[in-house]
Amino acid sequence: MSATAAHAPGWDSRFLWVALLPLAGFAGLVWGLLHHPLPWRGAWTWVPSLGVELAVHVDGLSAQFLALITGIGALVCVYASGYLAHEPRRGRLFLILLAFMAAMIGAVSADHLLIVFVFWELTSLTSFLLVGFHHEDEAARNAARQALLVTLSGGLALLAAILLLGDITGSYSLQALIAQKQALAADPRLPAALILLLTGCFTKSAQFPFHFWLPNAMTAPTPVSAYLHSATLVKLGIYLMARLDPVFNDLWLWESALVGVGAFTAVWGAVLALRERDLKRILAGSTISALGTLTLLIGLPNPGASLAAVAFLFAHALYKAPLFMVVGNIDHATGTRSIDRLMGLWRAMPWTAAVAMLAGLSMAGLPLSFGFVAKDLITVAKEDAELLDAIGYATLFVNATAVAVAAVAAVRVFGGPPEWPGERIHEAPWRMILPPLLLALIGIEFEFLPDLADPLLAAATQAMALELGAVDVQASYVFGTVLTATEITLLIGLGLFLVWDRLYRALHFTRWLDRFGPTAGYRFLLESLPRVAAWQTRALQHGRLAGYLRATLAGLLLLAVGAGLATGLNPAEDWARRLQDWARDGGDWPAQSGAWLTAAVLMLAGAAASVAVRDRMALLMTSGLVGYGSAVLFLFAGAPDLAFTQFAVETALVVVAAAVLPRFGPPPALAADEPYWRNALLAAASGVGILVLLLGMLALPPDTTLADWFGATSLPQAYGHNVVNVIIVDFRALDTLGEITVVVFSLLAALPLLGGLLRARREAAP
Amino acid sequence: MTGRALLLERTTGPLYGLLLAAAVWILLRGHNAPGGGFIGGLVAVAGTAAYAMVFGATPAQRRVPLGPIPLALLGAALALLSGLPALALGRPYLTHLWWNLPLGFAELPLSTVLLFDIGVFLAVWGTLAGYVLALLRGGEMDRGGAP
Repeated sequence: MSATAAHAPGWDSRFLWVALLPLAGFAGLVWGLLHHPLPWRGAWTWVPSLGVELAVHVDGLSAQFLALITGIGALVCVYASGYLAHEPRRGRLFLILLAFMAAMIGAVSADHLLIVFVFWELTSLTSFLLVGFHHEDEAARNAARQALLVTLSGGLALLAAILLLGDITGSYSLQALIAQKQALAADPRLPAALILLLTGCFTKSAQFPFHFWLPNAMTAPTPVSAYLHSATLVKLGIYLMARLDPVFNDLWLWESALVGVGAFTAVWGAVLALRERDLKRILAGSTISALGTLTLLIGLPNPGASLAAVAFLFAHALYKAPLFMVVGNIDHATGTRSIDRLMGLWRAMPWTAAVAMLAGLSMAGLPLSFGFVAKDLITVAKEDAELLDAIGYATLFVNATAVAVAAVAAVRVFGGPPEWPGERIHEAPWRMILPPLLLALIGIEFEFLPDLADPLLAAATQAMALELGAVDVQASYVFGTVLTATEITLLIGLGLFLVWDRLYRALHFTRWLDRFGPTAGYRFLLESLPRVAAWQTRALQHGRLAGYLRATLAGLLLLAVGAGLATGLNPAEDWARRLQDWARDGGDWPAQSGAWLTAAVLMLAGAAASVAVRDRMALLMTSGLVGYGSAVLFLFAGAPDLAFTQFAVETALVVVAAAVLPRFGPPPALAADEPYWRNALLAAASGVGILVLLLGMLALPPDTTLADWFGATSLPQAYGHNVVNVIIVDFRALDTLGEITVVVFSLLAALPLLGGLLRARREAAP
Repeated sequence: MTGRALLLERTTGPLYGLLLAAAVWILLRGHNAPGGGFIGGLVAVAGTAAYAMVFGATPAQRRVPLGPIPLALLGAALALLSGLPALALGRPYLTHLWWNLPLGFAELPLSTVLLFDIGVFLAVWGTLAGYVLALLRGGEMDRGGAP
């Protein structure tokens, strides 16, 4: 947002109504939760031939995600209507945002894995459009492409995993999968499926080494970042891992991958946050860190960890989304997000400062906030799980960094001398204050009114830990130990906050890592792709007709030799025997031998003349002779229709070529280095190869099933005597339709190319 | 064109009409004897190419009804539409229907098959004529002739 956005916003509420859609969804969800016990099920057949049905299964976990998607979705729509009041294309943004919302809802409530996959990919696609919304900005385009490539590659891995899992269990239903835990664990293909599945989840949820797309995606408009990159999209991988946790949580691979990658991602995300000066990218780093913590919690085997994951998921969405909106307000008012230039904003933006304070409280895990409850549960879960000491220290560092980041976002930019250099700053309009304020208040209020949150948390936990009976959330808080842990974390966090700038400079030495990190790998891949494409285009599409012909003939020869070797055909014996039989029977010429002879003479003469003749027009005629010769052959071999077609094709070709060729000037002279004899050898060899293959095929007993069937059914079923035509227009009409459509569209595609080529030639010629 | 080929010019006009008539005849007889929409379309293209060779691409294009691209699209559309009546009757797409129109002295067999084959004919004619005429026109431009 530039300085123009610092003007008082216009009173344009045209898109405010959009918020009613997700709000209606949220209201429906709440009504449903109050009146109908979970889980909700439903199924509609969709593609019965593939066994795909639109099955819906909403349990506690799904309901938690649905609440986040619709609830935060409604608030984000309100926020966006204020944030984008001066954006002329905002209608498009709202449309994509709603499409994304629908895809998310589908992904978390579907029970059929393939349907989950379809919605999963839809979220990637809509996210691409949202990140690249300011497409005139190159950074936005690159970030959108990066997010798309990373998440879609992961999506492909996920698809492979789904197909493997479906193959093992014979069902694509999530619930069936969960029920077949034993059969799954015994299958040798399971590790491959797990690795693929986790690759998909890790790319989506920005786990190391796929995390790098998330900070770059911060080029998206802030409402998008608040919604997609803190509350919903990046949690989809978490959702799938949580959903499948009951199936795999006994497996060593699952547990170690989740705990290992999760812990490392949590630490690395914290380091990334410390290395940034852009407030939004700092928040992105801490989001990666939070996602790592969630993955770690899902990987821990005890049910307490499941409860902690569910609570932290909620808490994180409730503080991170408002913090993003706060950054959006600051950006909107001042035109910058750099923490070096921001300070003392509290006087100009008191409401935004208040929101930041409330959300920061929760993020820091201070008492009286929902974040405190979540951190509390995490600490308890970790103590139960008997983790390595290293992971314990790592999480201490991660939590302390969260405190420091909260302090930076809530205290640093708002505190200090109450003046911001430069122009005057306005507080954001109510539409940009109310949504984050509400979210942050809910984050605080859940601590005081646990009756609202606890049932949902309990239900979600039960979905992750099936053997668990009732979950008593209240009883899980253990205040004694936790308060000391919180105090230690807070102290270290405050320390980090105080030395933030010094730490930033100290971390400068980690820059050399970037040359070898995942980002560099991504860039290398992206740059290699056009290089490889250019190389293979130069090698294969060189534009020399003789070269193409050589490649084609060599390919044919290889095919012929390969087919001969593969089938072990030995036509020589068979034909020797036939010749002997023929000689024994008195050596009579078969019937119609005159016609066969004519055809052979025509073809041989045409071929021989083509070799000798140099003039292009004459060459056209002589090669036409070969075609006519084969047409004669067809005529007497009982295929008059084929002969007719061959005649027509040959004639049309000769006429067209005769019309076109002279207009293109004299032919280019033969290149001096043209390997003349090698060409001749190749042509002869491939001719012999095809001949041998054909003889071999003729030696086999023909299969006439199809011919007999078409011959018998053509007249009674399709009322036509000409079997070939009946096949084309009736039995295989759909194929023909496809073919003529392709032919027509080839013209539409070729005309502009042809025009461009001709223009280029005309410009090249003086 | 350097100079004029009087004999060619005099015969090409009638030849064009003859080739088109032959093409339509081949199309119509196709269901029961050698022929059909594809071959008929090829014969028609040969006619267009011959005409263009003598009189140039633009006059030849004027002789293709609707122009090559609309003709080809119309052909594909006809083939596409010929399958719809079956859907209306609740049968699979492209199940062909027959209807014998009594004319008093004989019966005229009409069918969606015929519609389909006419579509193939027009698509082949329009597309290949489009290619030929574009190539010819390029050749003319190449030599500095009128586009």
